[in-house]
Amino acid sequence: MPLKKKSKWKEGRAAYAMILPAVLIIAAVALWPLLRSFWISLFDLRLGDPTRNAIHYSYSMNVEQYADRFPGLLRAVKREAGNAGGGALSVLSAVEKKLDEVGGGLEDDRAFQERLTKVNGLLDAFSPVPQELRFIPVDNAKAERLKAELQEIRKELAGLKAAGSLERPDEVIGLTNAVLDTFQAPNFVGLSHYKDLMSGRRLWESLGNTMLFTVFAVALEMLLGLLIALLMNRTFRGRGLVRAAVLIPWATPTAVSAMIWHYLYDGQNGIVAKLLYEAGLISDMGTLLSSGSRVMGSVIMADVWKTAPFVALLLLAGLQNIPASLYEAAWVDGGGRWKQFLHVTVPLLKPAFFVALMFRTLDAFRVFDLIYVLTGGGPANSTESISIYAYKTMFSELDFGKGSALSVIVFVCVLLISMVYVKWLGADVVGRRAS
Amino acid sequence: MRTKAGKLSMALILTGVLLAGCGNSGNNAGSGSASGESSAAPSAGASAAATAAPAAGEKVKIVFSQGADQTDGTKKLVEAFEAQHPDIDVEVREFPNDSSQMHDQLLTILSGQSSEIDVVNLDVTWPAEFAQAGFLLPLDRYIEQDGIDTNEYLKGGIEAGYYNGQQWAFPRYNNAGLLYYRTDLVKKVPTTWDELLKQAEELKGKGGTKYGFVTQGKQYEGLAVGFTELVNAYGGQIIDDQGNVVVNSPEALKGLKKLIEIQTSKAVPSNLNTFTEKETLTAFIEGDAVFARHWPALYAQANDAKVSKVVGKVGIAPLPAGDARSAAALGGWLGAISKYSKHPKEAWEFLKFLISEQGEKIVAINNTQTPTYLKLFDDPEVQKASPLFASRDFVNGLGSAVPRTITPQYAKISGLIQVEVSKAIAGQQTAEQALANLETQIKAAVSQ
Repeated sequence: MPLKKKSKWKEGRAAYAMILPAVLIIAAVALWPLLRSFWISLFDLRLGDPTRNAIHYSYSMNVEQYADRFPGLLRAVKREAGNAGGGALSVLSAVEKKLDEVGGGLEDDRAFQERLTKVNGLLDAFSPVPQELRFIPVDNAKAERLKAELQEIRKELAGLKAAGSLERPDEVIGLTNAVLDTFQAPNFVGLSHYKDLMSGRRLWESLGNTMLFTVFAVALEMLLGLLIALLMNRTFRGRGLVRAAVLIPWATPTAVSAMIWHYLYDGQNGIVAKLLYEAGLISDMGTLLSSGSRVMGSVIMADVWKTAPFVALLLLAGLQNIPASLYEAAWVDGGGRWKQFLHVTVPLLKPAFFVALMFRTLDAFRVFDLIYVLTGGGPANSTESISIYAYKTMFSELDFGKGSALSVIVFVCVLLISMVYVKWLGADVVGRRAS
Repeated sequence: MRTKAGKLSMALILTGVLLAGCGNSGNNAGSGSASGESSAAPSAGASAAATAAPAAGEKVKIVFSQGADQTDGTKKLVEAFEAQHPDIDVEVREFPNDSSQMHDQLLTILSGQSSEIDVVNLDVTWPAEFAQAGFLLPLDRYIEQDGIDTNEYLKGGIEAGYYNGQQWAFPRYNNAGLLYYRTDLVKKVPTTWDELLKQAEELKGKGGTKYGFVTQGKQYEGLAVGFTELVNAYGGQIIDDQGNVVVNSPEALKGLKKLIEIQTSKAVPSNLNTFTEKETLTAFIEGDAVFARHWPALYAQANDAKVSKVVGKVGIAPLPAGDARSAAALGGWLGAISKYSKHPKEAWEFLKFLISEQGEKIVAINNTQTPTYLKLFDDPEVQKASPLFASRDFVNGLGSAVPRTITPQYAKISGLIQVEVSKAIAGQQTAEQALANLETQIKAAVSQ
């Protein structure tokens, strides 16, 4: 008995070892980016902001920027003091003293002092400062104290500017800001990106738009795709040609087809706009891309044109797997065309249909390129999908923390959708094969 | 239990593979982390390469990036420069003309600390953002060394390149929004927005036109420009000189209300909210519109008999005024040097040439781009290139053009303006609500 158990255990181990590469690959390509996104979404990370363009767990300073800016600020303040008189002069000398204290506080530190000398040497020689020399950790309490002092200095300078007693106010105030920017604060924010997003309207509106798009586009695509597949499955003259022709929309890159539709819908010269207008379906050629509710319809139509052939192809493969003998048997049993469809085609096509449905739903939920080219999310944000929102946040605003939070939200939505599918519909697809 | 877990993991795997395989969003996050890491990784390669300074007499190649140029102006510019500097080779790298695409591509390149670009053309709203991100080399030291007098250049352009006490970019050519009109239809050029609207409604349909007025109404940067112009024309501001958010003021409200009135009037196309510069241009040169708001570049095309149906009937005027003044948004491009350039000295030589009298003249004549070097407006050859350059109105209008808000958060603020104003025009919210929303959102954006 123990011997058998042992061999079973061995066998099991071997089995696990065999699937290990697959598990590792999945972990590397799917789980790692996901976990990384989630981790980033917990930070206030912005690529366009040098104090926040990396994850910081504690305070640090950019020594290169400090070396570039601090002496300049001192010089500028000294020059202003040289030109000022009366009250302004005393304020400026106080500012100067404070600045000396700030600089002294930092340069007291031996490590900082050494680093600064090294960096200054490099800068004087016109050679770039390597990344590992650029940043030096600073004690949190000290950094906060120095920052507070600099903010105090900025306030005093702003006061002088308002009184008109500075010669070049933008220079000293700007440089004070620049020196403040050399401090890199820890930027962990926890779940606050999620909180902000959930309490704002824009997330819910874009989710609503995405849902609307997904439901209507997928429903129409499945219906049309089924019809096309049934048609293509019959033998008729020129079938090869039709099958090839039907695939053209699917083969066209989405960005290109979106441009084509943009021309077709154009309110001044668009053919589709003109035809719909002549047919009396729209009151004005311009409304296809300009009136809130119709624009989503136009986007859905362009997507259906493009993706119905893909669905048709998937369903066609399913149809061709149904043995002809079953239709013959049904025919012998006296079943008409309709009965054959209901009792042979429908049940046997179900797995292929659900696979296509699941693929399309998940795909449609992430719609980006079509909308980006066709409307850019407008007008009045009425076609902004969640992916467009994430793109704008990440790449136009370079807010990677919030953008990552958005993509995690997209992931959760997609996960929920697939769970629903696997549970309610996918029993045929996943369950039966697995058992 | 087992099957449930199996189903769950199946769902997880499926979504994971889908996201990783072809996902936009999932992948974005992945690449985001990748670039985040690379910016923190030691850039040993850059420093090693930089220490290998070119030996004397060796040719140095620098790369200049700008939007694609349909004329041969850039070629001539580079030839003239290389004739003066035989030891420097300039390679021009072209980017998409869509400025937001160029923006995103440049950010990708520069945030990867790539040294592939030396001199870069920046749109008027980017320098603060790029400077704050640490992508640019401050120019003050060089400007001082070479004794360049910034007072000889257009003030608005210099200001656009100035941020936090330092000059990061130098204006190469500037432009400002203009009012175009049909000289065969318009008898008295409107000087206020109210007058423009009245005339546009009256003249619509005359002389084969379909619309009284066309402008940029799509939810994109152009709408933020239009908003800035109207708000300033009525005496409002978005962010004041002290950096306070003052967008929710009675003046700004008047401006926004006028913008909504114009964009929803009978005089404009019903689908004005799909109009970018391209649609505006088409409508005007097809002879469909009486008035148009556009940039100086339209003038040359409107008088080109190959594409235009309105040759010889094109008039220009400063944009109409509101209660306070006529305010045109400042446009244009600035030259800057990448922080990661391996040849900053040569890059500066080229930039210096770009903004020199000779360099700007080549661009003014070949590309009909408006020079920023003010003395060029008195140059007969430049005056001949475009009647705009000879027009005092135009040059004065340029001088009073308002820069869009100079802030590193510009992209974000512009995005917020586009959304809120577009909603107000669509009637989904009132102008008051739009400004109140903008105030809270912009405050949150700049305080972060």
